[in-house]
Amino acid sequence: MLSLETFELTKAFGGNLVLDKTTVSFQHGKVNALIGPNGSGKTTFFNCVTGLIRPDSGRISYAGADITRRSPHAIARAGLGRTFQLCRVFPRMTALDNVLAATRPRGANLLRGARGRAEIDRARGWLTKLGIEHLMQTEARNLSWGQQKLLELAGVLMSEPETVLLDEPAGGVNPALLDRIGGLVRDLNAEGRTFVIVEHNMDLVMSISDHIVVFDRGRPIAEGPPSLIRTDERVLGAYLGA
Amino acid sequence: MPSVSERSTKIAATVALTAFAAVALAFPELAPNPYILSVGIVVLNYAVLSTSWNFVGGFTGYISLGHGALAGLGAYGTGLLITKGGLPSFVALGVGAVLVAVVAIPIGYAALRVRGASFVIVSIALVLVTLLVFQSWASFTGGSRGLNVPRPFPGMLRPEHHRVFFYLFLALLALAALVWWLIDRSRFGLGLKAIREDEDKAETLGTPTFAYKLVVFVVSAFFTGLAGGLYALWFGDLDPIFQFSILTGSYMVLMALLGGVRNLFGPLVGALIVGSALEYFKVEFGNTPLHLVATGVLLALVVLFMPDGVLPALGALLRRLSPTTDTSIREVTAAELAATGGDRQHAESRNL
Ligand SMILES: Nc1ncnc2c1ncn2[C@@H]1O[C@H](COP(=O)(O)OP(=O)(O)OP(=O)(O)O)[C@@H](O)[C@H]1O
Ligand SMILES: [Mg+2]
Repeated sequence: MLSLETFELTKAFGGNLVLDKTTVSFQHGKVNALIGPNGSGKTTFFNCVTGLIRPDSGRISYAGADITRRSPHAIARAGLGRTFQLCRVFPRMTALDNVLAATRPRGANLLRGARGRAEIDRARGWLTKLGIEHLMQTEARNLSWGQQKLLELAGVLMSEPETVLLDEPAGGVNPALLDRIGGLVRDLNAEGRTFVIVEHNMDLVMSISDHIVVFDRGRPIAEGPPSLIRTDERVLGAYLGA
Repeated sequence: MPSVSERSTKIAATVALTAFAAVALAFPELAPNPYILSVGIVVLNYAVLSTSWNFVGGFTGYISLGHGALAGLGAYGTGLLITKGGLPSFVALGVGAVLVAVVAIPIGYAALRVRGASFVIVSIALVLVTLLVFQSWASFTGGSRGLNVPRPFPGMLRPEHHRVFFYLFLALLALAALVWWLIDRSRFGLGLKAIREDEDKAETLGTPTFAYKLVVFVVSAFFTGLAGGLYALWFGDLDPIFQFSILTGSYMVLMALLGGVRNLFGPLVGALIVGSALEYFKVEFGNTPLHLVATGVLLALVVLFMPDGVLPALGALLRRLSPTTDTSIREVTAAELAATGGDRQHAESRNL
């Protein structure tokens, strides 16, 4: 089954060629990981895929449809949700409103009250799953870094993406929280959601992913299951530094 | 379950609103002379303008200095529809405002593509362009000789005329505030606030931010146009230099910021303060640039000491003064926290 694919995706910032004819695909229904050294273009790849940055050339397709020139909200509505490396929440909204803001009302529904019972129940469900339900009425800017990361994830999940792109979910997060995030990814994957996870924490990557893609200077240099990647010589040379 | 302090804030707001409504309704009777009544009208006009501006500024955080042009278009549109189009006054007012809303579509389409300082500059350009057009197209607009707008109630004496327009402006303010409130509590409103907080983030969650901004800009333009048109009917004499002035937009911004852009009544409070102060300066010191200096100082003070405006500052003060149980987060037990769903903590955290 088709999932997220790119064909010769290229992006340069000035003279800095960050994505160099990147052709890569991720597997539908799987937990994919995207790893690589700092500055290898992982975040830029996410930014291109989600429409926040226009690639210079190349194509991006999702579920068989070309999404290269679509706007970010259209890409989100096509089923791709994402978090940010430097986690982004709406700082002056409560945690509850942060999650409610991820619903996508249409037509006359736009004028209905933002805090409908059904929505609140669903939002509370996600906040509970992430263990921050008690902070529902707290403004996001008053949450700790880790809590904000959980909140961001709750918001993304509220929008019910088919595929979730996570940019360093473990960054700055304590080990207990890490287990919770890892477990959640596994659970959601079991329900059919696809993941693409950029992550430097190799324990997490190796334990939760089915398929790993390794970037080096904007190009995939290896891909395969964790068992294979762990011993791949190019990966060891470029990244794992062993 | 709202906390004690939230409830007391709500009560205070209701009391203040009721008091304002009572005073406003009685004002034409209380005003000692027609001049004071006309000041009341000017302040109400400012309140409508500033509330209209706040549809864009408050919800999306886009600071427009160009709304003066939209008010001017409303005023001239209404005036020209009466004088050249032969429409009855209040029909012209409505059609004029709709026309302003229609014109706002291409304007918004172009201007809302840029953010931050660039948007401010584009909005200023709007004022300059409209001023030039209306000054130089004299055969149609009357140019700098001005445009005379016939009174809607020809036989009416001056004090009575003021009275009627005071209530018309009050009704328009109520209507604009009602629509702002409806948007504020709606899903559409939540989307707009998400844009204010982080536009790219809102996009990646699936919110069509550009369409949202454009719609609310057009709504804002419609009410701004109505305010301009009603002013034209009341004042009866339009001059491009005053109608298409960068000052009008600046006042709207100042009033909304002063009162508090996140609050329904922020612009009204700001208009009451700034509007009265402007009139006072005019009477006391005549036509000096002194009021401009005072406005500048006021703006600086607001930005420095009350970045959220008067109303939130008052709210915080009220919470601190009110004898509530939720004095410190550390005194709240875990069980209590669970029982209130974190409301106490919320109220407390906003105090920090
Ligand atoms: N908006 C931008 N403007 C200019 N250069 C950029 C921009 N975004 C990224 N870059 C550059 O692109 C390169 C790749 O950055 P990117 O953030 O994609 O790397 P990354 O693989 O996510 O790294 P990390 O693991 O450190 O997060 C870097 O050299 C960076 O300086
Ligand atoms: Mg990165």
